[in-house]
Amino acid sequence: MSILEVEHIQKVYTTRFGGNQVQALTDVSFQVEEGEYVAIMGESGSGKTTLLNILAALDRPTRGQVVLDGKSLSMIKEKEIAAYRRKNLGFVFQDFNLLDTFNIQDNIYLPLVLAGESYQNMKSRLHPIAQQLRIQEILRKFPYEVSGGQKQRAAVARALITGPRLILADEPTGALDSRAAGDLLTVFQKINEKGQTILMVTHSVMAASCAERILFIKDGQVFHQIYRGEKTDEEMYGMISDTLRMLATGGDHHA
Amino acid sequence: MRKGFYFRLALQNMEKNKRTYLPYLLTCICSVMMYYFMSFLTLNPGMDQMPDARNVKTIMGMGTWVIAIFSVIFLFYTNSFLMKRRKKEMGLYNILGMEKKHIGRMLLYETLINAALSLLLGIGLGILGSKLIFLFLMKLLSFPVALGFFISVRSVVNALALFGAIFLLTYLNDLRQIHMADPVELLRGSSMGEKEPKTRWLLVLIGILCLGGGYWIAVTTESVMAALSYFFAAVILVMVGTYCLFVAVSVAVLKLLKDCKGFYYKTKHFTAVSGMIYRMKQNAVGLANICILSTGVLLLISTTVCLYIGREEIITGRYPREVSLSAYETDEEGFSKVQEVEAQVLENWDLEPEDITVYRSIQMVVLDKGDKMDILSGDEYPANAMEKIAGVAFIPLEDYNACMGEARTLDPGQALLFTNKKGMDGRKELSIGGKKWEITEELEELFTEIKVGNPQIDDYYLVVDSVGTLESIAREDPASGGIIYQKDYDLPGDPDVRVKAEEQLRAQVSQVSEEPAHVRVAAREYDRMSFYSTYGGLFFLGIFLGLLFLMATALIIYYKQLSEGYEDRQRFEIMQKVGMSKREVKRSISSQILMVFFLPLVTAVIHIGFAFPLMKRLLAMMNLYNTGLFAVCTLGTIGCFALVYAAIYALTARTYYRIVDQSVF
Repeated sequence: MSILEVEHIQKVYTTRFGGNQVQALTDVSFQVEEGEYVAIMGESGSGKTTLLNILAALDRPTRGQVVLDGKSLSMIKEKEIAAYRRKNLGFVFQDFNLLDTFNIQDNIYLPLVLAGESYQNMKSRLHPIAQQLRIQEILRKFPYEVSGGQKQRAAVARALITGPRLILADEPTGALDSRAAGDLLTVFQKINEKGQTILMVTHSVMAASCAERILFIKDGQVFHQIYRGEKTDEEMYGMISDTLRMLATGGDHHA
Repeated sequence: MRKGFYFRLALQNMEKNKRTYLPYLLTCICSVMMYYFMSFLTLNPGMDQMPDARNVKTIMGMGTWVIAIFSVIFLFYTNSFLMKRRKKEMGLYNILGMEKKHIGRMLLYETLINAALSLLLGIGLGILGSKLIFLFLMKLLSFPVALGFFISVRSVVNALALFGAIFLLTYLNDLRQIHMADPVELLRGSSMGEKEPKTRWLLVLIGILCLGGGYWIAVTTESVMAALSYFFAAVILVMVGTYCLFVAVSVAVLKLLKDCKGFYYKTKHFTAVSGMIYRMKQNAVGLANICILSTGVLLLISTTVCLYIGREEIITGRYPREVSLSAYETDEEGFSKVQEVEAQVLENWDLEPEDITVYRSIQMVVLDKGDKMDILSGDEYPANAMEKIAGVAFIPLEDYNACMGEARTLDPGQALLFTNKKGMDGRKELSIGGKKWEITEELEELFTEIKVGNPQIDDYYLVVDSVGTLESIAREDPASGGIIYQKDYDLPGDPDVRVKAEEQLRAQVSQVSEEPAHVRVAAREYDRMSFYSTYGGLFFLGIFLGLLFLMATALIIYYKQLSEGYEDRQRFEIMQKVGMSKREVKRSISSQILMVFFLPLVTAVIHIGFAFPLMKRLLAMMNLYNTGLFAVCTLGTIGCFALVYAAIYALTARTYYRIVDQSVF
């Protein structure tokens, strides 16, 4: 069953004084099934970030709707949206977005504290996640004291700890060196194997090649998609590269 | 490079940074202006028309120094804040190929523009406003003044020299910072890694001890003399304590809260506690500055206002009678000569004295040790505050009977006692300087009302059997100072005439004896001028410096809001992404900001509360004994100050929210 349905989304930005209109998304539709690992690729300016913001309910589409678990995001009241986001979505960002005033552990606790969980409950939830992500050693440290890869794993832990229906990752390997990036992608694959649904926006071929399905966005619409099937990471890598080359040189509409 | 390039670059920089530059420029202008005002008032020849110009001039001269010192510290502080904010910009210039020498030249132009603007506008506005300020001061001093416009060249030169030097210093400091840093460091500049502050237990301990010590001194000091000498000790202790309080104690308390898991991991406390720890780390010194400045403003204004309002009361307390003539080291014959001259002067002015009392007395200062009193001579005052100073006066019975219209009799060794000390418990004996006096009666009233107003010094008036007894006391104890001939009376009539008559009286009477100091005339109407000018001058200074400190407080608050805004912007973006609603974020921000900015005010008010008993004693030294009035003045000042503070907060908070707004609101 589809966990996420994106139906004919259009997003038009109007400049402040009315004048010009910019179409960020023309018409985007796709579904994500429970337990899927989907990557969305596209050049900068293709509308990836706009799409992600709409999925995260940080922004509202001009037309069309996003349905998560059978519930349309546009039906949720403004007041409940933060709580809804907290409960159902986990975020991983390019620049980690850890708060420098909290140590790693408190950063991970943040969404739970906001949800009003008890300390005992939080503690018992943290333990298995910290173990899985190998961050037990750095829980007491502060963001400025740990490496980029560790920060990003902490951010993943923060996204996972609420047990979200969907993880939204925005360019998660963007600020990491290749080893840390590889590390993180393995983490993503592992948590995906345990049934976690992941939607990742990226323009890194390596990151995308780990996903099960890749959507390509160009000029505000879904242009093409690739399924992994039985292919290896290397084969995926090649296919993605070819597709990107085709996208860059211009080509016909596939999807 | 083209001519004028650096100049235009400097102008452009100031324009781009106007959010931080404009308040700095305004502060510079205000400081120059206020310095000119003060210096102008000290040097103004119009001042010399006043009879007691010296008092006011001394006060204003002091004010000039305070403003000068304050300007140095404060402008230096704000400038370094500006530089800190601009480090990144400098680093960028450096990386884009500008040498440090070029950056230095650019900064030189900026400093020159800033200095030129502040000096020009500051002195210009100072000259324009000086007349107004002068008239205001004269109004406060209740002194009519001839109109006329005057520019003090010396003040202008002084202002140019002082502020020129300050700007040079700030420029050199900027250069030093630029040269010390490498470009990468400059680029990172203000966003250095955030370390969690450690609890510094030693500072916590020092803070608590200093604050406690300062408060203890303020509350327990009883004697007026001790109050004066301990005042500065208390001020310094409280200042040190305040810095420690904000720097260390606040962090310690917050960390303890953080360790308390059940409390810390609650939605309401979580972001607030950790946020506050960092805010305190970054702002502790600034907040302590605000707190100390606020305390200074409150103390200055409340006491000077109180003295100004209570000045009439002070005068009547100090001068129960219109004229009080005392002659020292003289005899009957000498005193009658004085009286002849006096009668002549009064006749000249056609004044008729009323309610005359003439008496002889011996007055001495003693150390009250409970069961006995030791006579003190000259300037020796006890260092120990536990021993009390008291005043003792001996008056012969015949003068008492003459003044009161009674016909009492006393034996040698017996005395009638009049005292303002409560609870004599019907003591039948007083031992003064080794001599015992049997108290036959405690009097309800006495013809002289000297010093009845001063509740802090006990006065004992002993009416003894004869003048002969007085003479023998004077002989036996040289420290007693000999017999004083005293004549007190009231003078009805036009105050203007009285002033002139009293002035003449003072001049003529002092010529009678060989030593002018041997005859003293305390004339209420004549001395009123000097009281008015002293307390008026103090009042003026209080308000003036109060405004200066307030301006400084406002600027520090503004810069705090500004820097916090830039730092918080990112933080609140993240919180929102992680799942905090806008409303939660906004509530969390405003509660933290409110706490940070009203903490200094609350602390200042607590300081004032503890300082109250000490200030009360210091005011008593200036002859103001009206505690109720002082309480009202203090509360009024706190109320007004809190309003102004809140207004400053509201204004600057708008800037803060506008900065954070771009992400959250």
